[in-house]
Amino acid sequence: MSPGVISGWGARSGFFRARRLIWAILLTIVALIGTSCAGQTTPSSGRPVEGGVATFAEPANTTPNYIFPFMSIVYFSVSTVSDLQYLMFRPLYWFGDNGQPVLNDRLSLADYPTFADDNRTVTVKLRDYAWSDNTKVTADGIVFWINMMKAEKKNWAVYVPGGIPDDIDSLTADSPNQVTFHLNKSYSAKWFVYNELAQITPLPHAWDRTASGASDCEHRVGDCTAVYDYLTDQAKSINSYATNPLWQVVDGPWRLKSFNADGNISFIPNKSYSGPNKPHLAQFNEAPFSENAAEYNVLRSGDNSIQVGHLPPEDAPVKPDDQEVGHNPLENNYTLDRWYSFAVNYFPLNNHNPRVGPIFQQQYFRQALASLVDQKSIIKAAVHGYGATTNGPIPTTPKNPYASDKTEPNPFTYDPDRAQKLLANHGWSTPRDGVGTCERPGTGPNQCGPGVNAGARLDFQMMYATGTTQVTLAMQQLQSSATKVGIKVDLRGAPFNTVIGTAIPCDAGKPDCNWEMGNWGGGWVFAPDFYPTGEQIFGTGAGSNVGSFSDPKLDQLIAVTQHSDSPEALQAYTRYGSETLPVIWGPNYDYAETEIANNLKGVTPQSPYLNITPEDWYYVK
Amino acid sequence: MTGFITRRLLQSVVVVLLVTVIVFILLHLLPGGPARAQLGPRATSAAIENFNHQMGYDRPVPIQYWHWLTQLVTGNLGFSVKFNQSVASLIGERLPKTLVLMVLSTLFALVVAIPLGMLQAVKRNHAADYTITVWAFVFYATPPFFLGVVLIVVFAVDLPILPAEAPQSSSLGVILSQPGGLILPVLTLALLTIAQFSRYMRSSVIENLAEDYVRTARAKGAGERSVLIHHVLRNSLIPIATLLGLSLPAIFSGALITEAVFNFPGIGQLFWTAAQTQDYPIMLGITVLVGVATVIGSLLADLAYAVLDPRVRYA
Repeated sequence: MSPGVISGWGARSGFFRARRLIWAILLTIVALIGTSCAGQTTPSSGRPVEGGVATFAEPANTTPNYIFPFMSIVYFSVSTVSDLQYLMFRPLYWFGDNGQPVLNDRLSLADYPTFADDNRTVTVKLRDYAWSDNTKVTADGIVFWINMMKAEKKNWAVYVPGGIPDDIDSLTADSPNQVTFHLNKSYSAKWFVYNELAQITPLPHAWDRTASGASDCEHRVGDCTAVYDYLTDQAKSINSYATNPLWQVVDGPWRLKSFNADGNISFIPNKSYSGPNKPHLAQFNEAPFSENAAEYNVLRSGDNSIQVGHLPPEDAPVKPDDQEVGHNPLENNYTLDRWYSFAVNYFPLNNHNPRVGPIFQQQYFRQALASLVDQKSIIKAAVHGYGATTNGPIPTTPKNPYASDKTEPNPFTYDPDRAQKLLANHGWSTPRDGVGTCERPGTGPNQCGPGVNAGARLDFQMMYATGTTQVTLAMQQLQSSATKVGIKVDLRGAPFNTVIGTAIPCDAGKPDCNWEMGNWGGGWVFAPDFYPTGEQIFGTGAGSNVGSFSDPKLDQLIAVTQHSDSPEALQAYTRYGSETLPVIWGPNYDYAETEIANNLKGVTPQSPYLNITPEDWYYVK
Repeated sequence: MTGFITRRLLQSVVVVLLVTVIVFILLHLLPGGPARAQLGPRATSAAIENFNHQMGYDRPVPIQYWHWLTQLVTGNLGFSVKFNQSVASLIGERLPKTLVLMVLSTLFALVVAIPLGMLQAVKRNHAADYTITVWAFVFYATPPFFLGVVLIVVFAVDLPILPAEAPQSSSLGVILSQPGGLILPVLTLALLTIAQFSRYMRSSVIENLAEDYVRTARAKGAGERSVLIHHVLRNSLIPIATLLGLSLPAIFSGALITEAVFNFPGIGQLFWTAAQTQDYPIMLGITVLVGVATVIGSLLADLAYAVLDPRVRYA
C-alpha cells in the first residue's frame, strides 16, 4: 500500500452518500421543471380565435432602444423604427402592401395627397384617427413634426441637405385635418410622397411641452429646440418607457405594457386605436437574442416560447430551384417563409484612390469586374438558394412596379471570357494566374483610358467583412475568377465595423483615401427612401456614395426621377446604372428566413420594408 | 499584515491605471472609430462629425482619457448610445444576474470537485481515479460553446425536459423564480470548473497525504477519515483558494461564451455586444471592473493563504 492511500474508503463512505444525495436533488429539480417543458406539435389550421400571446424574436444582437420617433441617426435602426415606434406611433404614410414595396393606402393616416401648381403645392388630408388621450390626429401634429425638423435638422436621422424640410417653402394647417405644403420646386409626386412625406410621423399635442409646462412647437419653430431637448431627455430614460405618461399617448394599434433595455418588450392593444386593423392578440411580445444559434436552439426545442422567429442562414434547408423554400427542419411547429427586403447589394470601388482610382473610373474595367461575380453560384453555395441577383440600381426582387428581372436583366452576368475581352480590347495584358498590366496607355477607344499609366497593374486590395459565410465565399469566388483574366484581388478580412469605418467617401491624397475595394456585406435598403431613385448612394458627392463615384449623366437621370412621374424616368436610370456600374453588384440575400408558428396566421406576406404588423396576427384553434 | 495590504493596494491602483491607459489607447487605435460602427454605413460625414463632437471623440486622446478618468472617479462610467443607458446602470442591471450564474456554478463545482479530488487521491491509480480523470480531461478539453450546445440538444431538444435558454428578465427575482432555465448554463460552467478544480484537489491531497504531519496524526491514533477531514482537507484547499481568488474577475467579465449560447442577459453578453459595435464606454467600464476585480481577487487569494496556512505571514 502506498503512503496516503486509505484502505477503508469504500462504497459506504460519506462521499458516496453525498454523491447519491446530489444526484437525487438534481433529478428532483429536473423532474419538477421538466414537466412544463415538453415539446408539442402545433396545429396548423382551424377557426380564428381572438386573444392569445405571440412572441416575436428580434434579429440577433439588435434591440429597439429609442421611443421618440424624431431621433438622430445614432438610434435609427430597423428594430427601433419597425419593431417599436411604428407599433405605437403611426407614420403619415405606411409603406409595404401585401408583400409589395409600395404605398399602403389602407394603413396610411392620410389620403394620397393632391398635387397642384405643377406639383409645387401639395395638400394632405388626414383621415379620422385619434390619439389614446381622446384627442384627434390633426394637421397641427404634422406641422409640429415639420417645425421640429426645421429646428433640429442635424438631429433628424435621415436629413439630407436640400431634402425635407429644406424643399418646403411654407406649410399651412388649412383645417384640423388638412395641411398644405408649398414647395421650392416642382417635384415628382411619387418621389415627394415616398421619400419626403414618408419621413413624417404626426406628433400628439401632449408632447408639445417642456419640463416647465406646455410649449408651442406646433406653431413656432423657435419653441421646438426646447421641446426636442425635453422629449429627448425623456427618451433617454429607457426604463421608464412603459410608465412615462408621455409614451402612453399613442395612435397606433399597440401601447407598451413593459419594456426593458435588454429588449424584452410587451405590448397590449390600444383600445382607442381607430385604424382598420385592430389587434386580435391580447398581447404581443418581443424577445432578444445575442446569437442566431441561441434563437435556433429555442425554436427547435419546441417549447413554443417563440411564435415568429428566424432560421440562421447556415441552418436554412437547401432550396430546390423550383420551390420557394426547402424542407423545413422545424415543420412540426413552424412554417418557413422567406422575408425579402427591398434592397440592392453591392461593393464599392474607391474612385478617389490615387493608385487605382483611375482604373476604377474606366467603365470597361467595372464591366469586366462585374462579369467575374457569379451571383447565382454564390447564392446557392453561401445561403442555400435564399437570395436574388442584383441587376442594377433598382431591386428586381420582390416584384415591384419599378423594375423587374424581365425588363431589366443583368447585362453583366458571370462571364470571365467577356471580362478577358473587355480588358484585352482596352490595352491590358491578361495573363492567367498573373497580374495584368496596361500595355496601351492613352484615351483612345482601345487604350487603357485617362489617368491610367503604362505598366499600371491589375492588383487590388479588397477589404471585406469577416464573420458571415456569404461575404467570405463571395469574395473567394471573385478572387478565383479574377485570376483567370489577370486580375489579382488581395483579400483582407476585417471586422464589419472596421470595413465600414475604412470604406468611406474621401478626398484623393488624404490619408483615409488609401482603401481600394470594400465589402461590408450589405448594400442599401430602400427605407425610408421608399422610392428607389438612388440620389443618396450614387449621386455625385452624396453622403452615402462610398466610392465617390461620379457620372454627370447618371446625376442627370437621377434628377429626372426626382422631378418627373414618368415611369420611363426610373427605367432610364436603372438601365444606365446597370450599364455604367457605379458599384459592383452582388447577391441580395433574403433579410431572414422566418419561422412562423403553425397555429399563428396573418404574419405573411412579410413587408419588404421590414415592418411588422402583429395587429394582423391571429391564432387558429 | 497591514503594511502588506497597504502596499498591495497601492500597487493595485497603479496596475488598474495602467490597464485603463492601455485599453483606452488600443480602443482608439481601431480603424474606423466608434462613429461608423455605431451609426452604420448610411451615416453622412456631417452625422459622423456631429456624433464625434457630442461624444467628445473629436478631442485629443489624452484629453479624452483625462475626462473619462475624472468622470470615473465620480462613478460615472459614461453613456452607451447603443443601449441608450448609462454604463453604470447597464452593469448594475446585469452584474447580479452574472453573479447568480457564477456563484451557483462555482458552488456546485466546489461541492462536487472537492470530494471528487479527494476520492481520486485516496483511490490513486485505481479504477475510480482513472475513470474520473478521463472525464475530467474530457470536460477540461471541451469548449464551453460545444458543451452548452450538447446539453441543449440532449435536455432541451431530444428529451425535452429543460428550457434551451436562460430566463429573460431585468428582475433578478424573476430569473430566480425560473430555476429550470438556470440549470443548463450553470451545469455548463460547473462541469468545466469541476474538471479543473478536481485535478488541483487531487494533486494537493496526494501531496499532503505524504507530509509528516499526516504521519504524526496517524501515529497519534487519528482515524483515516479524521486525518482526511481535519488535517488534509484544510491544507489541500490552498490551491483551490488561489483558483477561487483568480476566478473573481470572471464574475465581472461574465461567462461570455456560455451567456451567448444560453442567451443569458449578463455581463458577458453585454461585453460581447459592445465589442461588436465598438461601444467604447461599455468596453472601458467592464475592463476597469475586471481589472479591479483581478487585483482584488489576487489580494484575497493571498490573504486566504494566511487564513488557511498559519505558517504564512505577511510581515
